[in-house]
Amino acid sequence: MGKDDINQWDPSLDGKNLTDFYNPNVLINIGPAHPAMHGTLRVMCRINGETIEDAACEIGYLHRAMEKLGENKTYHQWIVYTDRMNYCSALNNNIAYCMTVENLMSISVTERCMWLRMMLMELSRIIDHIICVAINALDMGAMTVFWLMYHWREEAYTMIESLCGMRLITTATRVGGMVHDIPDDFIPRMKKFVKEFPSCLREVHGLLTGNRIWIDRTKGVGKLSKEDALKYSITGPCLRASGIDLDLRRDRPYYAYNEVKFDVAIGTYGDVFDRYLVRMEEMKQSVRIIEQCIERLPGGPIWVDDPRVRIPDKIDVYTKMEVLIHHFKIFMEGIDVPPGEVYSAVEGPNGELGFYIVSRGGPKAWRMRVKAPSFMLFQSFEHSVVGDKIPDAISALGSVNIIAGELDR
Amino acid sequence: MSKDGSAMIYPSLLAEAVKWARKNSLWPMPYGTSCCGIELMSTLSSTYDLSRFGAEVVRFSPRQADMLIVAGTITTKMAPVLRSIYEQILEPKWVISMGACASSGNGIFDTYSVLPGIDEIIPVDVYVPGCPPIPEGLIHAILHLQKVIEKNIERTPAVKPTYEDAMNAMTYSKCAQAAVVKSAYIVTKDGVAQNPAGQNPIDCNLGGNQNGKCCC
Amino acid sequence: MGNAVAKNAEFVKRQAIATARIQEKFSEGRQFLTDALGEPILWAKSLMDAFDLIQLLRADDVLKFDFLSDITAYDNVDGKDGAKRFVMVYQILSTTTHVRLRLKLAVDLGEEPTSWTSLWPGANWLEREVFDMYGIKFKGHPNLRRILMDERFVGHPLRKEYPLKQRQPFPDNVPLHLGPHPLPTKNT
Repeated sequence: MGKDDINQWDPSLDGKNLTDFYNPNVLINIGPAHPAMHGTLRVMCRINGETIEDAACEIGYLHRAMEKLGENKTYHQWIVYTDRMNYCSALNNNIAYCMTVENLMSISVTERCMWLRMMLMELSRIIDHIICVAINALDMGAMTVFWLMYHWREEAYTMIESLCGMRLITTATRVGGMVHDIPDDFIPRMKKFVKEFPSCLREVHGLLTGNRIWIDRTKGVGKLSKEDALKYSITGPCLRASGIDLDLRRDRPYYAYNEVKFDVAIGTYGDVFDRYLVRMEEMKQSVRIIEQCIERLPGGPIWVDDPRVRIPDKIDVYTKMEVLIHHFKIFMEGIDVPPGEVYSAVEGPNGELGFYIVSRGGPKAWRMRVKAPSFMLFQSFEHSVVGDKIPDAISALGSVNIIAGELDR
Repeated sequence: MSKDGSAMIYPSLLAEAVKWARKNSLWPMPYGTSCCGIELMSTLSSTYDLSRFGAEVVRFSPRQADMLIVAGTITTKMAPVLRSIYEQILEPKWVISMGACASSGNGIFDTYSVLPGIDEIIPVDVYVPGCPPIPEGLIHAILHLQKVIEKNIERTPAVKPTYEDAMNAMTYSKCAQAAVVKSAYIVTKDGVAQNPAGQNPIDCNLGGNQNGKCCC
Repeated sequence: MGNAVAKNAEFVKRQAIATARIQEKFSEGRQFLTDALGEPILWAKSLMDAFDLIQLLRADDVLKFDFLSDITAYDNVDGKDGAKRFVMVYQILSTTTHVRLRLKLAVDLGEEPTSWTSLWPGANWLEREVFDMYGIKFKGHPNLRRILMDERFVGHPLRKEYPLKQRQPFPDNVPLHLGPHPLPTKNT
């Protein structure tokens, strides 16, 4: 007994209470200002050695009250907030929101606008997946992939800038049409992009897919089984990587998605490797959809001919009196939306992005609810990270693609 | 060396050398919260290479960095985190407030949860306007910061909030002080209290009111 | 109707079958409506009824509603959707027939609907958000705390009487160790 006999050494005899150090349950706080936390996420883990036994996530560090603003701003004024939600694919959010308001008012957009919007939605899907794969690889140390893929994001930015003047935060759609029609060099540039982008995918596949280090770091990590994916209500590439076949573009086709041919990538295990493969395949399929949209893009007006929403051309606003008054009324009073409610969802790059608008008539919404896919994904992250080590949790977080703007709104 | 032992020429050359070294080797700590963070990543990547200007080594630990780039909206829940990160960076340190949200709270986000500008809690050297600023804008800001460092080696911004100022800013609500809108709660220096006078929204004529109630 | 709705023939047929089934089996005593897109909306009769109804809908083999899309609420302070203060909105989806259904439930101040976390663990954070924004408490929820706002925030922001610009900042709200604050419990 005593200090000589090491097997029966009592730590409290040291005069210090060291029993806490021998407690295998250590509480660690990762975030909210942490390099691997994309933005403002906070994960509190209880670890045993280096294995995570329990995790609790805290959000709300980027809550900007967008839903409350939806009740205080008119429908057009709120378009600027939609891009700031999923800022990696802002065009997708704009289009999804304007689609919802148009559904509420029973407006059909023109053919040209419809095909153009589909093309832009697929372009935003490509750039969002580029960010996800590149940052996921960067978190694990594969910097080359980040440099390679970011070049293509800049190419896409140049095209988007020629369309609406801004690279990242676009606000390029309006209720009933788009703010500008595409410039003349947009289609040739898009054709060039579509021809050359698959080479980037081939390069990244060559760097990562057969790479022993990548496979060891991503296979079996952050696994989410099929039943758990359904129980936690996740959507998007993570749901498909877990094996559930649900894609709103194919199952509930909006616009002309039932006329374009594309495949839906389904994974098996729901780990980081599967999510990476699903995203790479989705980028390839998006390229295919864009090619079909380019072929089928018709001529014609980009604005629907509905006097409730049609924003007149500037040349008329400056020269004709009635058009000036019409323009004034649309922007100062807002468009008059009939009372009713609608829930309209698109298959965004991250999952099902839905807008639920309750309108009591008038220019402002009564309730503007955004169903953000990252919210459910982060909830499932708490569950999927149990049993992994801390570096594995970092790579799992990168693959789930949590965008804090969308999570906290 | 002069008669009393003080070196006269060398300190000025030394000061110049130190200024040159500091401005060309700023180690940024990116504090990217929202959309500006993506433009910051674009600036750091190969097309708008920031490492041309010396700011290549991005250190995510505040103890190892000397320039804090706050890119994105800072909410009131995040503000103490930012303050504690700022305090951990050792002198000399500089702060770039990137984007409209960090500089002033961004007029579109004037809500109950957004901090109206990080200069309420930390001193800022360069503000970059834009939502988000294009990468050339951020590079312009870093070049401007290099000019600032060139002029004075000691940073003396006009208004340097002390710790007390920062704590007061974080507990004091400007909107409640302006008393534009009366609501069920009032926020004072001591905290949040129930307003027994009840809710009495004032009619404001900023167009498009619903049911005559205040829209803000 | 607009061209941004699903209009391929099989989906329209499946939606018609599902709507007919809902109207036939579940709509006595409950109000059945359609929204601007033609999607079905079903109002629950009472707080307990909502919980029973969803279990019946899940178990039904024609409808097969197995996916929870969203749980939210809105403020009914002007009384246009009934006499009670809030309306809770549940969006459910079927992964096989891809038909959506919206369940609505009128909740008053002080009433506590049953939590759906026993049916779908994903409902945990959704209900926490409804509690944070509106103050509606849920019976049987394992972890009902604020999620988006700080824990010491007073008031419920999305209620119509909370002004948009009323700030309540706190100086020391980030516990860098999990000391005095209770350890958050995980979803069970």
